[in-house]
Amino acid sequence: MIDINDRKILQRLQTNLPLTSRPFLALAEELGFDEEFIIERIKFFCEQGYVRRLAPIINTQRVGRSATLAAIKVPEDRIDEVSEVINSYSSVSHNYLRKGRNMEMPYNMWFTMSTPTKDDLVANFKEIEEKTGLEVAGFPTIKKFKIGVKFKIY
Amino acid sequence: METKKDTNDKHLDEDIKFLKHIQNGLPLTKTPYSDIGDALGMTEAEVIERLRRLLDEGKVRRLAASIAHRKIGINSNAMCVWKVPKERVDEVGAIMASFEEVTHCYERPVFPDWEHNVYTMIHGYTDSECEDVINRIKEKTGVEDYIVLYSEKEFKKVGVRI
Repeated sequence: MIDINDRKILQRLQTNLPLTSRPFLALAEELGFDEEFIIERIKFFCEQGYVRRLAPIINTQRVGRSATLAAIKVPEDRIDEVSEVINSYSSVSHNYLRKGRNMEMPYNMWFTMSTPTKDDLVANFKEIEEKTGLEVAGFPTIKKFKIGVKFKIY
Repeated sequence: METKKDTNDKHLDEDIKFLKHIQNGLPLTKTPYSDIGDALGMTEAEVIERLRRLLDEGKVRRLAASIAHRKIGINSNAMCVWKVPKERVDEVGAIMASFEEVTHCYERPVFPDWEHNVYTMIHGYTDSECEDVINRIKEKTGVEDYIVLYSEKEFKKVGVRI
């Protein structure tokens, strides 16, 4: 379990780590803890799965990769089978079954794919269509208003 | 699909190599940048300089923790899609993005059977917290036509790797 101090540390870890020789010492001083304590807690968060990783969050498009959100209309009785096909691609980072809460909607399986080139995206979509017999609709970003997953933890 | 690769970027190959080495996690030691340097044949100052440049150039959005939000108790994740008139997209998108609980906000293309064009990801501790945000967005923007898509099942969620 995490306590109030952990929540404080987690909240801070969502913004940039200081670019100084001893970044965890800087964090410790900022939050009023010891350097060793901070490092121990971060190790705990990583081991226990509270933190997926403490690392650079890469803007994949800026390093030349292609990415898009995509969706498929999957019949109810084929959901498991189709999700296995989608998940088998290492280029797929997220895949969710979604249902409209206030309204019916045609697409129910939503996934994101990131590949080295645009051609790879197109080829993967085509392959998924061949394997499943279902059409893949691409929803690429036209305009980005916000991307900065930062949660209210503390 | 979008690609914003700068083909004149002379640093790109070395940046990708550098990022591939650290994208799974920084060393959890007192001197992580020095330790990265040792592994890559760079000095601590060079590692720090590189990270600063990657942040400045926007190749790295943040040097920070990716939180497993469900584990913290943030269990509700609503994707709310809005039908916004083309001429209001910029104005409405900016308002939606200003909500703290909105973590992502994008304009995306429409299809004949899919006319919703602005996507907001909303995270909350409960579904009712998300509903409350949606109602406040509705009030503030006047956009009434929307679909709330809760995730019924998470088939896959991993960090994007290069």
